Amino acid sequence: MAKYAAAQERLFALRETIAKLEGRSPALVVEGQPWAGKGSVSRTFPRRVFFGVPEVDAALDEGIPLDGITEIRTLSMRDAGAGSGFALALAAVIQKAAEASALLWISDRVSSGEAGLPYPIGLTQYGLGVEDFLHAVPRKLDDALWLAEAAASSGALAATILEIKGNPSSFGLSESRRLNLRAKAAGRPILLLRHAGEEEASSAVFRFCVEPRPASERPLPDGSMLGGSIGSSVFRLTLEKSRNPAPISFILEWNSHDRQFSLTRQSELSRLSGRAAARSGALFPASGDRSDRASALGRLLAFGRAS
Amino acid sequence: MHPTIDVVEEDPLADKALLEATADWCDRYTPLVAIDGSDGLFLDITGCTHLFGGEQALLDDILFRLLQMGFKVQGAISASPGLSWAACRFREGGVIAEGAAEEVLGSLPVASLRIDDQTVAALKKLGLKEVGDLLSVPRAPLARRFGGHVLLRLDQALEREEEPISPRRPVAYLSVERRLPEAIQAEDDILGLTARIAASLRPNLEARGAGGRVFELVLFRVDGRVFRVIAGASRPLRDPQKIANLFTERLKAVHDELDAGFGFELLRLNVLHHDSFEEAQGDLVGVSRDGAQLADLIDRVSARLGKGVLRGFQFRESHIPERAVVAKPAISLNSDVKDRRAPAAMTRVERPLRLLPRPELMEAFAATVPDGPPSRFRWRRVLHDVARAEGPERISPEWWLDDAASEERDYFRLEIASGHRFWVYRKGHYQPNYQPTWYMHGMFA
Repeated sequence: MAKYAAAQERLFALRETIAKLEGRSPALVVEGQPWAGKGSVSRTFPRRVFFGVPEVDAALDEGIPLDGITEIRTLSMRDAGAGSGFALALAAVIQKAAEASALLWISDRVSSGEAGLPYPIGLTQYGLGVEDFLHAVPRKLDDALWLAEAAASSGALAATILEIKGNPSSFGLSESRRLNLRAKAAGRPILLLRHAGEEEASSAVFRFCVEPRPASERPLPDGSMLGGSIGSSVFRLTLEKSRNPAPISFILEWNSHDRQFSLTRQSELSRLSGRAAARSGALFPASGDRSDRASALGRLLAFGRAS
Repeated sequence: MHPTIDVVEEDPLADKALLEATADWCDRYTPLVAIDGSDGLFLDITGCTHLFGGEQALLDDILFRLLQMGFKVQGAISASPGLSWAACRFREGGVIAEGAAEEVLGSLPVASLRIDDQTVAALKKLGLKEVGDLLSVPRAPLARRFGGHVLLRLDQALEREEEPISPRRPVAYLSVERRLPEAIQAEDDILGLTARIAASLRPNLEARGAGGRVFELVLFRVDGRVFRVIAGASRPLRDPQKIANLFTERLKAVHDELDAGFGFELLRLNVLHHDSFEEAQGDLVGVSRDGAQLADLIDRVSARLGKGVLRGFQFRESHIPERAVVAKPAISLNSDVKDRRAPAAMTRVERPLRLLPRPELMEAFAATVPDGPPSRFRWRRVLHDVARAEGPERISPEWWLDDAASEERDYFRLEIASGHRFWVYRKGHYQPNYQPTWYMHGMFA
């Protein structure tokens, strides 16, 4: 009997370890005994948030984890508005779920100069609580990373947004892994907003590519839409990195009043990235001299360094 | 001739810096140190002498240490700055007992009264060569002839008139210090000691119902150099460990400038600013409220990266978008949440998520005259076609701030075909022979 119990306990411990490795919360342990979590994790802080759109949430498996990095990438600096919009919408969803309001936005000098500084009145209208909104522009990337680490591990913030431009060489896989571990230990999310960035190996659980789409029109009381008006923001999201093998793309609308995402009427879930579909031809003209080197065989496991 | 003589040019700035450094060093005896001219220091040692074993012992200690540093110094302790000054420069100094002022001063020349050369020469012409002569003549004719200055100086030296010295630094609200028999160098030792002396600060703060906002750690190096490290807190602090934590980050930030050399022999912790402290009972589990955690984070970051890096926002009543929000260092933000919530009136009209640091000039084409949106515009060298537009929202300049020449702005929300949404404005109106300028001011999600 005792032997059986010991085996059971061992099995349970192993399961827990595996769950931890996979980044999932062992549901039994956490939900059954709320105090069983790590001491630094606030008991009320949620572990995951959802988009609230069934199709999208199904693609995301278990929602966006709040103890790690979620990367949000834009293709060019021009899309900074859409990128910040989606990051802030996620932050608003987290604020709503966690019932905490403190946010920290860390910008680098280039992004804050090119795309501007966050404007609290606009943020309020966008559905964010700005009572404890903090903004920092550190001089160096090292300082920014230190600040993001300190902010995540302090446990005082609902979310930390780290904004960088491109793929700086001093923020590679090891740095992102370090940041991810900090976030995991504290159980607080870090949203990495990368403007004009390349796909690069990182520790982020999910990576979204955001592109702007024409906004929806303003609704009228009778249910119809006011033609020519600019209403809620709409984003085209491509889920580039996730546990799902195929990149999935969808168009979401952000309702700042209800602080909720929804699928737009015009959109349909597509399994193929729209960009690739639009330009089905060769990206570059055929080489005049020799053909390009043969592409590597096998599946792509990790992106090389983009910097 | 003297071939061995070493000629060094006079460098008044370096002399002054040396005197300042010496004054810093003298902070160990009293917080009230004043600089006197180019070669003297005044120390107000009221209430400090017992710490050093009496006046004579204090004076000996100062003079001996300065002599060891290679200075030739004269020092005197007396009841008034004027008398000490005279005794240092015209006698051999020493401690002058109370009541002996007239006797000491009597035999000194009139120049010892800190009066200008012209007056000294005039006094000498009259045969008044020593201070004793001045004491014996009637005061009224002296005042008539030389003005009140001579008598004022005389009275100050004799302590008939109060003479305050002006200390170089404001006196700290509270101050604790620790003298070390053996100098310390390691950062950990410094921090550990800071926490220990901060603990002795606590009863004093509690007695006053206050907590410190700005702390100064003064480190006296063995060779006389003094380092001052200042760290601020976003809310009043009493907890010794939290005070020490402020300096943990601060010392890392100033690491390169803080040269421990042969070590520090005296640590002092000053409270420069304070605030009333609100007592709050901690949670039984020991989990503090979010407010306290956030304040800790703000303190850490401000200590490490500087005050200006981390900023919060406050709202002001203004229609001009860039004036409606002020960014302030997070550490000095008002703890009142009401000021940090956007007033309802401001959030009625749509504002962008990001505002450019300053409006950027752009070219707009085919705008509907007089007050319509442009149908195309060129910004940062890229041409955009406007698909949809909303506006105008007219914002007039604030007459109580702007001059009469500033113009109205008409704001538009523009959406281009690719889905980017911008906030642009036209400055001024279309008029005959006048083309208004267009600006890009922000972007929406």
